[in-house]
Amino acid sequence: MITFEKMPLAEWVQSIVDWMTSNWASMFSAIQSSGQKGMDALTHLLTSVPPVLLIVVLTIYAILVSGKKWGFPVITFLGLLLLWNQGLWNDLMQTTTLVLVSSIVSIIIGIPLGIWMSKSDRVSKIVQPILDFMQTMPGFVYLIPAVAFFGIGVVPGVFASLIFSLPPTVRFTNLGIRQVPTELEEAADSYGSTPWQKLIKVELPVAKPSILAGVNQTIMLALSMVVIASMVGAPGLGQGVLSALQHADVGNGFVNGLGLVILAIIIDRFTEYLNVDPIEKVNNQTTGKYKNWKKWVGWLATLALIGGTGYAAVQAHEKEQASINLVYVEWDSEVASSNVLAESMREHGYNVKLTPLDNAVMWQSIAQGQADASVSAWLPNTHKAQYDKYRKQIDFLGPNLKGAHLGLVVPKYMDDVNSIEDLNGQADKTITGIEPGAGVTSAAEKTVKDYGNLNGWKVQTSSTGAMTTTLEQAYKAKKDIIITGWSPHWMFQKYDLKYLKDPKGTMGESENITTMARKGLKDDKPDAYKVLKNFNWSSDDMEQVMLYIQDGQSPEDAAKKWIKDNPKKVDAWFE
Amino acid sequence: MAKVKLEHLTKIFGKHVKQALEMIDDRAPKTDILDKTGATVGVYDANLEVNEGEIFVIMGLSGSGKSTLIRLLNRLIEPTSGSIYLDGEDISKMDKKQLRDVRRKKMSMVFQNFGLFPQRTVMENTEYGLEVQGMPKAERREKAEIALKNANLWSFRDQYPSQLSGGMQQRVGLARALANNPEILLMDEAFSALDPLIRRDMQDELIELQAKQGQTIIFISHDLNEALRIGDRIAIMKDGAIVQIGTGEDILTNPADDYVRAFTEDIDRSKVLTAENIMVPPLTTNVDNDGPNVALKKMRTEEVSGLVAVDRERHFKGFLSGENALKSRQENVPLSSVLTEMSTVHKDTLLSDIVTMIYDSPAPLAVVDDDNRLVGVLIRGRVLEALADNTDMEGEE
Repeated sequence: MITFEKMPLAEWVQSIVDWMTSNWASMFSAIQSSGQKGMDALTHLLTSVPPVLLIVVLTIYAILVSGKKWGFPVITFLGLLLLWNQGLWNDLMQTTTLVLVSSIVSIIIGIPLGIWMSKSDRVSKIVQPILDFMQTMPGFVYLIPAVAFFGIGVVPGVFASLIFSLPPTVRFTNLGIRQVPTELEEAADSYGSTPWQKLIKVELPVAKPSILAGVNQTIMLALSMVVIASMVGAPGLGQGVLSALQHADVGNGFVNGLGLVILAIIIDRFTEYLNVDPIEKVNNQTTGKYKNWKKWVGWLATLALIGGTGYAAVQAHEKEQASINLVYVEWDSEVASSNVLAESMREHGYNVKLTPLDNAVMWQSIAQGQADASVSAWLPNTHKAQYDKYRKQIDFLGPNLKGAHLGLVVPKYMDDVNSIEDLNGQADKTITGIEPGAGVTSAAEKTVKDYGNLNGWKVQTSSTGAMTTTLEQAYKAKKDIIITGWSPHWMFQKYDLKYLKDPKGTMGESENITTMARKGLKDDKPDAYKVLKNFNWSSDDMEQVMLYIQDGQSPEDAAKKWIKDNPKKVDAWFE
Repeated sequence: MAKVKLEHLTKIFGKHVKQALEMIDDRAPKTDILDKTGATVGVYDANLEVNEGEIFVIMGLSGSGKSTLIRLLNRLIEPTSGSIYLDGEDISKMDKKQLRDVRRKKMSMVFQNFGLFPQRTVMENTEYGLEVQGMPKAERREKAEIALKNANLWSFRDQYPSQLSGGMQQRVGLARALANNPEILLMDEAFSALDPLIRRDMQDELIELQAKQGQTIIFISHDLNEALRIGDRIAIMKDGAIVQIGTGEDILTNPADDYVRAFTEDIDRSKVLTAENIMVPPLTTNVDNDGPNVALKKMRTEEVSGLVAVDRERHFKGFLSGENALKSRQENVPLSSVLTEMSTVHKDTLLSDIVTMIYDSPAPLAVVDDDNRLVGVLIRGRVLEALADNTDMEGEE
């Protein structure tokens, strides 16, 4: 028997990325900060345009490009109006920025690369497999190095969607130029064109439809990456979709998804109309008078847009406030606490930015100083893995909620099960868990290992929202179910549940939710630091907010309501 | 001095070029070279001279290397060895910039499938050659305008190639080539993609143009009739090599070898010819249906002075001359009453019998089958041709 050592592939990749992260840090942070600034500026510009003006102008453009067809302008107008009405305007503009920037960068990189490929068989041979790799690797994977390089926010989102969506543009450009008929190439050569003239005057114009088809695909892929990129803090509609998934919130998920669909349709149509055959254009040309009128309308609409934007930007020019970047995990408990803290700080004049992230990414972002603080560290057990990894790089400010508890939870009607040791094959030997990166998940996995009677059991990971939905269905059907639970949580208010005894203590003792901040926040923003240090409340407080949210209030409204009802507690934080 | 002169021009595709070149020096045939080295010989030691103001046609079957040869002339394909002299200068030794200058100023090319840029209008296509030279817009527009007006395309200047018929597209291709005012026109099977009628018009236009402007034209064709119509001299290629150069007359009367002989004839004399073998499709009028106006219109479009008359079942009725059709119109009588006699032969009649009849009859003979149905007509030219074992010239009476 020959035994092969396991190749340390993962370690190799890790060390390469680590090396890049530490050696190219200055370049990455330069890209990060300038990219972030640029995109913030673009988003700011887009959001400072009055929505009505933008909707009207886009509709006018739609009418101008689509000629006599009414479908597209109507969809543009009604779709955007609907999104505005649903309060998704800012998210829509954030997403538009992300898609625009990644598409433009894709074009800037992709078209020259495609041209180079078409001119050289060797380059083509080298690049093709790389493109295949880029396109088949799941988009999620790109988020991991993206966070390592660029931290959290919109830049890693653009980076990941860039890698994921670049291939079609490169491929189609290469293909389009290679498919230019030989006779046209010969004709261009035989009249003495320089290679550059041939490219600009013949190859690119002939390949244009194919190149634009590639660009269109790239834009669509970038749009699909928007949702995934929101896991590392890229703002916009994707965040709405993601948080809806984590709360199993069908309605909001649909509305945000619809927003993406409308945006996709609008972008897709506009790029398609760019790709019109010149002959069609000639055939669609109406009399000169009408054409001039069209031109005038187009210019007037553009002027109105610029004017309106300028005016709005001047109006909206505010003083920079003290800003703080809070990160949290999309668990119901953390949504409640982070929103309460954020709302209360806003009321005291802070400019708070809330970013939901995956748990591991959240810890990393604070350790690397890309985010200011979080009130979502469950210690000592739930987040033990992250704590061990990052504890030297993080400033812990102490608990903000004492007596949090986690464990395996079952409905009360499962009479014969009171301790983990009583489990013997219920619920298909499955423990319904939450996100793979969550602390309670690793605790549950440890539990399965340590208890002999759980041999052959598995922890089914999903998301927090999916877990509560599964619980609800099982509860209604009076079926067996074992979940990874924690309190404070609203589900204990809604259903009759009980914790299973944990004689071996693998699920952890009672825990505290702790506030943590990046190193150096104390010196940079002493006021905000003090507030964070003071922030604390009780399990009851938190479950109240959670219930408000569960009953259909938005997190902001629930937080405001609680703040209004508990002025004393809140004031104490800001002393 | 010859305008264009090729000396030992050779093009080899593939690998082991050196070995293949040595074999060519030893006059090894193309197939041996392919077997031995795996290299394909495109052009095999070509030597020729083209004189100023001559229309020089290069002919051959597909795969004979004629298209490669013309592309070697302006170095769209790089020659493996040999020289190409243009006005005594060797093009094959030029660097890129000098070559570009030659292409811009001296040589223009017209392509089989027109090679027009689909995203440019007729005007923009025509001025392309001037545009890449960096000529100012006003000036190049002026020149393109002249070229387009000469080609009767001025009113189509803002159209795109795909909106034009094949013949018009090729006129644009020609106008584009002429706008550069080149000394040499290279035409690569320029009329092969056109239908026969338009092809003939284009050939006439080309001859006329050459008479007016006197360019040197190197014309590639696989169609002997085309070569004979327009060529001052003809070169015939086979397997990359030039097997014969001469006037059309030379080539028809003294073919250099069996290949040329076979190439210049397409009548199979192994079987005994009958009327059916040499008749041409008849131009008919159905006197049961047609009136004089229809018949006259048919004569006009077909450019003939008479039609063979048939009835509804295509039974032979007689001959309708132009005068008689006019008479029928003026006197308002049916066509069937003004038909004249016409000799008929059966479709299985042998050539030897036909000869005597056709001598007596100035008009063509109608060829009929057993049921007296018309199947074709015999015209004098075709019969003489068949007798003389000569080539298959298109009947042009």
